[in-house]
Amino acid sequence: MTKEKAIKNKIKRHGLSVLFVHCTVAISTFVLILTGLFGQFPMAGRYMINRLPGLSWLSDFSVTLSVHYWAAAVLILAITYHIVFHGIRRDFDMLPRKGDMKGSVKLIMATFGYGKEPENDKYLPEQRLAYVFIGFSLLILVFTGAIKVLDNLPDINFSRVFMLWTSLLHNLGTILIIIGIIIHLGAFIFKENWPLLPGIFTGKIDLEYAKRRHSIWYNRGFVRKS
Amino acid sequence: MSDFSRREFLKRSAAAGVASGVALTGFGRNAVASDVAQVGTMIDLTRCDGCKGLDTPACVTACREENKDRFPDPVKDIPDNWPQKKKEDWSDKKDLTTRLTPYNWTFVQNVNVEHGGKRYDLSVPRRCMHCDNPPCANVCPLSANHKMPEGPVVIDSDICLGGAKCRSVCPWGIPARQAGVGLYMKIIPGIAGGGVMYKCDLCYSRVKSGQTPACVEACPRNAIVFGEKEKMRALAYKRAAETNGYVYGDKENGGTSTFYVSPVPFEKINAELMKQKAAQSHPKTPGFPGMPVDMENFTDTANGIAWSMAIAPIAGIAAAAGAAYKTMKGGKNND
Repeated sequence: MTKEKAIKNKIKRHGLSVLFVHCTVAISTFVLILTGLFGQFPMAGRYMINRLPGLSWLSDFSVTLSVHYWAAAVLILAITYHIVFHGIRRDFDMLPRKGDMKGSVKLIMATFGYGKEPENDKYLPEQRLAYVFIGFSLLILVFTGAIKVLDNLPDINFSRVFMLWTSLLHNLGTILIIIGIIIHLGAFIFKENWPLLPGIFTGKIDLEYAKRRHSIWYNRGFVRKS
Repeated sequence: MSDFSRREFLKRSAAAGVASGVALTGFGRNAVASDVAQVGTMIDLTRCDGCKGLDTPACVTACREENKDRFPDPVKDIPDNWPQKKKEDWSDKKDLTTRLTPYNWTFVQNVNVEHGGKRYDLSVPRRCMHCDNPPCANVCPLSANHKMPEGPVVIDSDICLGGAKCRSVCPWGIPARQAGVGLYMKIIPGIAGGGVMYKCDLCYSRVKSGQTPACVEACPRNAIVFGEKEKMRALAYKRAAETNGYVYGDKENGGTSTFYVSPVPFEKINAELMKQKAAQSHPKTPGFPGMPVDMENFTDTANGIAWSMAIAPIAGIAAAAGAAYKTMKGGKNND
């Protein structure tokens, strides 16, 4: 391990690009869900959420549609950046590997005190699976959302059946992404995962934690994929 | 990373760029333009007299007769739209013909307006304008509302959940909601959904089979003319030129398939209609549209933002390529 990566018992887990993508995807997705559920689906007025302080704008469809569009642009930028950046670098640590399903079960069992936790690489097997689930959901949303945006333009009118399926998939994608986010955040109910939290804000995690829980990654010596 | 060449970098950039481009913007453009000629109507207010002498104008009666089998048949005990203690139930007002309801998809407004020192009694048949780029259809989160290739904007009552967003974004507030009927009653009635939205579909099934809409056929004074949309537009302007009149519906909401011709400016008609609405016992009750002039389409602002979504992937690719090149050349761990 190089010196600069172990300053003050911390170890660098994420670079600026990852922090940027995670931050922009998280914020834009939150805004999209908010303006999608309460604005595109007219729930804010129905459930009187617009009467809560500061949320009256949620029942103004022209505002929520515009905010939805801007947030979608930010999400598209972040996703494109993510795919291209890691594609060029051939950085595929987050992609699922053979045995991840089994590994996740073992890891969850170990969390509850059954059996020993397997040795982990930079990411836990369940993190890799969650990544694909969330990524897939986001791609469904971006793709179907782009079709809906095109359909809203004055000179474009897709067929009725095509739009029915597009909307259905967009709504399904929304449900999937909400489930994905709940599972993603739900992982932090377990104390064992808490040391990973600072990583997504500062890029660094505790050195001892990395040695113990991400031993494969640690032992690789951070030559490139640290 | 020291052996990482510029050539290799460009190769990887191109591959990653294409992959993300396909994933994010790809293959959505199926048949966009239609070869089907769009239809429309021209409503001549110099001819319409509201069928004076009849209890109900002929166009209204014909519409009700034509569509009676499609009118809602709600359950007896309609649940409130939780958490609110209200619902929209018109089932005890089925005979109402003086406004738009789920049981009355067209009606005639009567105004008396002054123009050029002369007073005019005008009867204005009202119903869906069948917009060129209908916000009601665009914003429906279920795509239950759609503009058909022939022009009519049609609500699928089997899919509609009755959120009434279509009515909120319609400049005329045309669609009418009936609670206690439709898909939401089979899911979680009372908790989500509010009924089904109903409105004129320009007798779409008749149009598809080569017939004219029922209201057109029934009009005794040929005040409502049906045909190819462009011909109706041309006819409206021709008629306006002949009568020194005004056209409504060509520019409004970005363009519609309904062209009114009036001997008085529509600003005056709208002002009179707003007066009538304000004088009603429940002025906020939907179903009594005005005729606001030159209003913009609800989706105009959002469509102006759409360009940002086209630029976003380009910016993402450029920024990522730059960042990746920097980190790889410098051998930095910046993943």
